[in-house]
Amino acid sequence: MKIIEVENLNFSYSEEVKTIQDVSFSIEKGTYTTIIGHNGSGKSTIARLLAGLLEKESGTIKIDGMELNMENLPKIRNRIGIVFQNPDNQFIGSTVRDDIAFGLENHCVPQEQMDDIINENAARVRMTKYLDKEPTHLSGGQKQRVAIAGVLAMKPNILIFDEATSMLDPQGKDEIKKVIMDLHKEIGLTILSITHDIDEVAHSDYVLALDSGRLAMQGTPHEVFADERKIRAIQLDTPFSMKMGDFLHQHGVEVEKHLTMEGLVKELCQYRSNM
Amino acid sequence: MSISFEHVSHIYSKGTPYEYKALTDINLEIEEGKMTAVIGQTGSGKSTLVQHLNALLLPEEGTIHILDRVITAGEKPKKLKSLRGDVGLVFQFPEYQLFEETVLKDVAFGPKNFGVPEEEAQKKAKQALRLVGLPEDVYEKSPLELSGGQKRRVAIAGILAMNPKVLVLDEPTAGLDPKGAVSMMSLFWDLNKKHGKTILIVTHDMEHVFHYCDNVVVMADGRVSLHTNVKEFFKDTSLCKGLNILPPALLRMKDLLKENGFDVPEDVMDETALAKCIARQVKKNG
Amino acid sequence: MGNITLGRYIPLDSPVHKMDPRAKIMAMLLVLISIFFPAGWTGYAIIFVAVAGVIILSKLSFKFIWKAMKPMLFMLVFLLFINIFFTKTGDLWLEIGNFTIYSDAILNTLYIAVRLLLMIMITTALTATTKPLDMTLGIEDLLTPFKKIHVPAHEIAMLISIALRFIPDLIEETERIIKAQESRGVDLREGKFSEKIMAILSLIVPLFVSAFQRAEDLANAMEARGYAPGEKRTRYKVLKMHMRDYILLLGAAAILTGMILLAYFL
Repeated sequence: MKIIEVENLNFSYSEEVKTIQDVSFSIEKGTYTTIIGHNGSGKSTIARLLAGLLEKESGTIKIDGMELNMENLPKIRNRIGIVFQNPDNQFIGSTVRDDIAFGLENHCVPQEQMDDIINENAARVRMTKYLDKEPTHLSGGQKQRVAIAGVLAMKPNILIFDEATSMLDPQGKDEIKKVIMDLHKEIGLTILSITHDIDEVAHSDYVLALDSGRLAMQGTPHEVFADERKIRAIQLDTPFSMKMGDFLHQHGVEVEKHLTMEGLVKELCQYRSNM
Repeated sequence: MSISFEHVSHIYSKGTPYEYKALTDINLEIEEGKMTAVIGQTGSGKSTLVQHLNALLLPEEGTIHILDRVITAGEKPKKLKSLRGDVGLVFQFPEYQLFEETVLKDVAFGPKNFGVPEEEAQKKAKQALRLVGLPEDVYEKSPLELSGGQKRRVAIAGILAMNPKVLVLDEPTAGLDPKGAVSMMSLFWDLNKKHGKTILIVTHDMEHVFHYCDNVVVMADGRVSLHTNVKEFFKDTSLCKGLNILPPALLRMKDLLKENGFDVPEDVMDETALAKCIARQVKKNG
Repeated sequence: MGNITLGRYIPLDSPVHKMDPRAKIMAMLLVLISIFFPAGWTGYAIIFVAVAGVIILSKLSFKFIWKAMKPMLFMLVFLLFINIFFTKTGDLWLEIGNFTIYSDAILNTLYIAVRLLLMIMITTALTATTKPLDMTLGIEDLLTPFKKIHVPAHEIAMLISIALRFIPDLIEETERIIKAQESRGVDLREGKFSEKIMAILSLIVPLFVSAFQRAEDLANAMEARGYAPGEKRTRYKVLKMHMRDYILLLGAAAILTGMILLAYFL
């Protein structure tokens, strides 16, 4: 079942430059999709359009079969959660507990039910110990986990991550990646992740590659990375295993394209035993 | 010796309930003309350490030698301003320090603060902008109109225009896309190799340390826990793993090959050598 | 920052800290108003004893109050001089040649000093024992009746709590920009006037740019989580009045009544 359908989407911030040009794609329910593209290619704009934070110029966006328009916006907002890049600028409450409560207050959840929802979602992102902490006493990774809990508390079925790990240190990046993977597996949420992390892309179900506001490529990671020349043309990086594959080709070892090191080494092992 | 720390420690908010010892007994010599990486977990004291290099922070204890100057704990430093010209410090997300109407004016701001006349300052600014690879058509634009990567280059040019001998960069590639990060790192490599600047980079990215740097300083809990050259540091993955750092891809690949019965010598340090080494083994068996 | 005591919250465990912020705000207002009735020295003595009692109960030290008072001393000395020169009523207390001091000059200054001391004691007893967030909740609740005359009580409270939330971040940002510009040779302390203007600009412009960025991010985050100004919403933190809160209010009301009686009827 298609949970997101986008057709001929157009958007621009100013008259001179088109930020999004004629973009069409659809996303299956329960999948993990990554959106890639160099900085300024329009990735974040797409995320904001899907979450109804920006108004499209033309084209259609359908979420869960409902068209995104002013009338449906409140209903659609309940289904889409978005986690942004900067950990500090999306922490609204004065403590972890208050921040998770913020969305619940907006949705008029009765006060008696809030504590249960807060506890449940804090536990999901492993922040139970920090419920009464203020943001100044939390690391970047912890703040992003709180942001995820705050969004989850509103029970969305689509989660968008807009470069949610790009301002974190390696430890924080790992924490957040693990939380996202778990959410995908355990609750079956549809995940849309804007990322530069090639490893995350390799492990996703579907990839959308943007270049100057246009959808340059889409498909499974294998399909997208098969066209190495095009990937380079839109200024994107390839996984190490593919670069290594090129070096091996130069030295007469004909390996296939692999997105992970494990896959490449596995083939090399077979290569060795077959010869 | 150009840069050295002797028994340096630093305490934030001394004498308040928030007192916090960020550096403890730092002893360190930075090699002149080399590119040194400063690594370590968040809160290990990396930023505190580098802010001592241009006397933004002063030591609580100990002595620091920088170029021909000496900073001793408890003494008011002399020639402070000229030190800031000689040691250029680029903060994290430096694009947030831009404020002038045009790119050129902003870059010329640094030299002008050091008393360089307007015309001369403009010349220095243009040189610096060329060095960071910005085209002439952006010179008269407002810094706010540029892309994120370009803004950062303007900010770095603003420091380079003061013609520092030492360039210190605090996480200069944070938030850039992979292509942007690589071109930023090659800029620093050029500044180091072609223009002879001593460079210190605070970073979390082991690929950058592995491919571009000469030496590594590892910080942990406000102390220098290791100081060695990059070759030694990446001899195998044991040091990285001990420090809970993800090793560079090439080293992870070597480990994986070894686990699967391949023979990979220690001195294989680049992709070509590794490909040759693999080719020998998969063909020998055939 | 470490030296500022006026208006600062001091986390201690005391009955006053546990009181309902609405009760504390109302009590503060009542007692502040009562200071302005001309109830004489007896009245001030009563208020002083009552407020000092609350401060003792709140476990705050009087040294803390004294530190808050200190910045006002300069003003009081200045006031004393003015009064000595211009107030020429009451008894003549001192005469050296042309220089005279009359009793009213001293008493008037003392009067103002005592009022100021009381005001600082009262406000400090509130701000030092009430978390900023609880304060905003209290203000919101107290303003709710005024919603009928279109006072946006909730929006005001939201504004204050967000401002409070981002103050530490903005201070940190300011320190960072100062350091970054100092690295470019800016000297915020010395230099010619024109240089100083540039130095201040180099600080203010980046601060504004980053504050706007922050505001935009925050607005997006709030909107994405379903916030719409003016819409009905529930509240997680609910305030509850206890016995001690009623006692506090009763006490404050008694003081106000007492002062009115002292001033006009006794």
